[in-house]
Amino acid sequence: MAGQESVAATTVLMDTDCCSSGRWQGNTLSDMRRRMVDRIATGLCWAATALVLLMLFSILFVLIRNGIGGLRWVTFVHVTLPPGQAGGLANAIVGSLIQTGLAVLIGAPVGLLVGIYLAEFTSTDGRLINLVRFVSDLLLSAPSILVGLFIYMVVVVPTGHFSGLAGALALSILVVPVVVRTTEDMLRLVPLSMREAAIALGAPRWRVILFVCLRAARDGVATGILLALARVSGETAPLLFTSLGNMNWSVSPAAPMASLPVTIYQYAGAAYADWTALAWTGALLITAGILMINITVRLGLGRNRK
Amino acid sequence: MDRSATSPSALTGAVKGNGDAVFATIVRCAAVLILLGLGGMVAVMAWGARAAFARFGLGFVLDKAWNPVTQHFGAAAPMFGTLVTSLLAIALAVPLAFGIAVWLTEIASPRISGVIGTLIQLLAAVPSIIFGMWGFAVLVPFMAHYVEPFANHTLGHVPGIGQLFHGAPYGTGFLTGGMILAVMITPFISAVMRDVFLSMPAVLKESAYGLGMTRWEVVRRIILPWSRTSVVGGIMLGLGRALGETMAITFVIGNANHIGWSLFSPGNTIASLIALEFPESAVGSLKFSSLMAVGFLLMLISLATLVCSRLLLRTRAAG
Amino acid sequence: MTVVEKNPAPAAISVRNLDFYYGANHALKNISIDFPQGQVTGMIGPSGCGKSTLLRVLNRMYDLYPGQRATGEVIFDGCNILGPRVNLNVLRSRVGMVFQKPTPFPMSIYDNIAFGVRLHERLDRAAMDGRVEDVLRRVALWPEVRDRLHDSAAALSGGQQQRLCIARTIATRPEVVLLDEPTSALDPVSTARIEELLDELKADFTIAIVTHNLQQAARCADQVAFFYMGEVVEVDGADRMFTAPREKRTQDYITGRFG
Repeated sequence: MAGQESVAATTVLMDTDCCSSGRWQGNTLSDMRRRMVDRIATGLCWAATALVLLMLFSILFVLIRNGIGGLRWVTFVHVTLPPGQAGGLANAIVGSLIQTGLAVLIGAPVGLLVGIYLAEFTSTDGRLINLVRFVSDLLLSAPSILVGLFIYMVVVVPTGHFSGLAGALALSILVVPVVVRTTEDMLRLVPLSMREAAIALGAPRWRVILFVCLRAARDGVATGILLALARVSGETAPLLFTSLGNMNWSVSPAAPMASLPVTIYQYAGAAYADWTALAWTGALLITAGILMINITVRLGLGRNRK
Repeated sequence: MDRSATSPSALTGAVKGNGDAVFATIVRCAAVLILLGLGGMVAVMAWGARAAFARFGLGFVLDKAWNPVTQHFGAAAPMFGTLVTSLLAIALAVPLAFGIAVWLTEIASPRISGVIGTLIQLLAAVPSIIFGMWGFAVLVPFMAHYVEPFANHTLGHVPGIGQLFHGAPYGTGFLTGGMILAVMITPFISAVMRDVFLSMPAVLKESAYGLGMTRWEVVRRIILPWSRTSVVGGIMLGLGRALGETMAITFVIGNANHIGWSLFSPGNTIASLIALEFPESAVGSLKFSSLMAVGFLLMLISLATLVCSRLLLRTRAAG
Repeated sequence: MTVVEKNPAPAAISVRNLDFYYGANHALKNISIDFPQGQVTGMIGPSGCGKSTLLRVLNRMYDLYPGQRATGEVIFDGCNILGPRVNLNVLRSRVGMVFQKPTPFPMSIYDNIAFGVRLHERLDRAAMDGRVEDVLRRVALWPEVRDRLHDSAAALSGGQQQRLCIARTIATRPEVVLLDEPTSALDPVSTARIEELLDELKADFTIAIVTHNLQQAARCADQVAFFYMGEVVEVDGADRMFTAPREKRTQDYITGRFG
């Protein structure tokens, strides 16, 4: 098995073919059994990894096969139309950009402030900080459809109508915990000596935090915001009951607004071939965008670490 | 000293401008906003659910009915579906995630492990609706044509567990839903496991290898016991994700309020029920309130799971 | 504690009966010492003897950490800076500090210096440019960085970074400059340049320097204080301290018998 070359030197004596000369091999039945179990386990680990990679490639393959045909000019310039009328996704794409953009604009500052709170106020607010961090971590994995219900109740019902802004607010609730997590982690990496040096110049704490610590952590913080953007741009459930979707061209955050995920959801189950084709194209677009952000961020992180 | 020319600032006296106090207040307000966010979600669900609980009482939780015509609603079927699909997902995802984590940390060379690890993390970034579409386009036909008929004919006749594999091979249903969820949460669980395995002091592993243990024995007897708490925490984290997942499940669950033994039968989960029925319920109606009530139950279940997960993961971080 | 030698220069900072605690740990015990104006005071002693702790009392750096407290008197500009009404930001602008490891801020060379100045003074563009050039010249960094003032400070070498940190500290025009082993992370050439620099700076600033390097103390300091186990054992002129110490413990330390 190819992977066995890479094991720690100590195990080489036990496992590989180079020492099959009996002298190194246990001859008892139990030794043979142990090696057998080890090989089976190793094989299963390979199989698990291969299976999950296969899923990833299968997803990408299906997306490309079904979606590539729709990557035409009309898809980007036409709005969604009734079946058979050569509609596109222009309103959905723009709606997604507006809503995720607004969500980040609303959510990222809150996330930054909370991240700062968690990282910088430990000496005075210890217990509250533990609670806030805990709740933020819960929000990180809270069911996103319930976030949609929440915004429906507190924004859509009182204002009387669905709106792009409501959608953005729902998404921003998902942005906050991601930004909180990375901001806190990155601020904690800023060396104490740098804070002390700024304080020794007579800088008040808020200036030290905003202009020295946050600056030192800016790459990591930007990464967190990008990842949050990537995460919410594929979210569908929180938008179903907030921005609803809109078949027409509309860029007003006060009106119902289309978005790629919701359009995909509506079109994917439709009985019209051109709609399902558009759904696949939208799915391809959104996945490509999200994976691109993720890959860029990971490459960037790898570079910084070196 | 040129300082004296500009007259040194007085050492004592009021602090000029109270930037620090203002900043601290702003930051604390943001933190309280987070608490209000979660508290608000729970409170709003509870508020919206009050009509349903007033009408059906606590029996709502165990009531199998979901009938808009007779205005009789209960949470048992979607709760059953949620738990069954999530537990199936965990049962499938944990061995996969464990195998991947062992492969990444113990078997693959660091370079390869880095690349493959990144690919697997990319799977975690794929939006859930994409999993839903993929499940509908690939997994459902595969289940309907191959897995389910085959299982019907073989496992279906095994006494005891046979009932699990009865039923018409639609392709949709609990098992397919559980499988989609498993693919989705595997990257999360394996990421937690990998991080824990990597955080183990190398000397522990090396001395075990030094005793002549095989790799599997080291994993089984050294790494796993050492990291058990965090591994369970990671599994709970995956479970929390699975419970609240909406879009992937909605495509493949079959949308039927049904409780039964067959893994192939269509069902519903709380999240997919809400996604499918909420648009068709008027604000203030009993159905609306019942949907809020199941949402409230989902909130409680997933928060309880996530709280357990965080507590388990935190034990490790502290120690 | 032996008698403090009468020093002709007036004290910029006088420490009287100072005790310092890290929680229950009594780190400085009844310390009294003067830092004469316009002179370099070197502080020597084995690790953990309290010399850095004293430095961190002089600008109240210890205030950042709960559980650390000081009692006694530290008189600066006629005021006990341990008192509750002291404005710490003003104190720190008048008592600057340079740390063991260079700590350039993640911004340009220019902004590193302007950051501290802007905290306390409003200067127009030209005056700020002048201030930056002036302090960079004083630390002999100007010729090396004049063409890349707006590049990141992180790209400078360790010795250059430390000189930048000194420039940053003196740019706010403090009266006292505290240096906590400023050369221990640097190579010999950079160390020599910083020692030269100290000699020039003492015309304008009162300097207190903690060092592990006895030669450095002998070269740079006018007055030397020997610390041991949280006490000041001996304070004297540098020449007398290293040739004729009065205390046995001082003698043991400078001849290398411990520490």
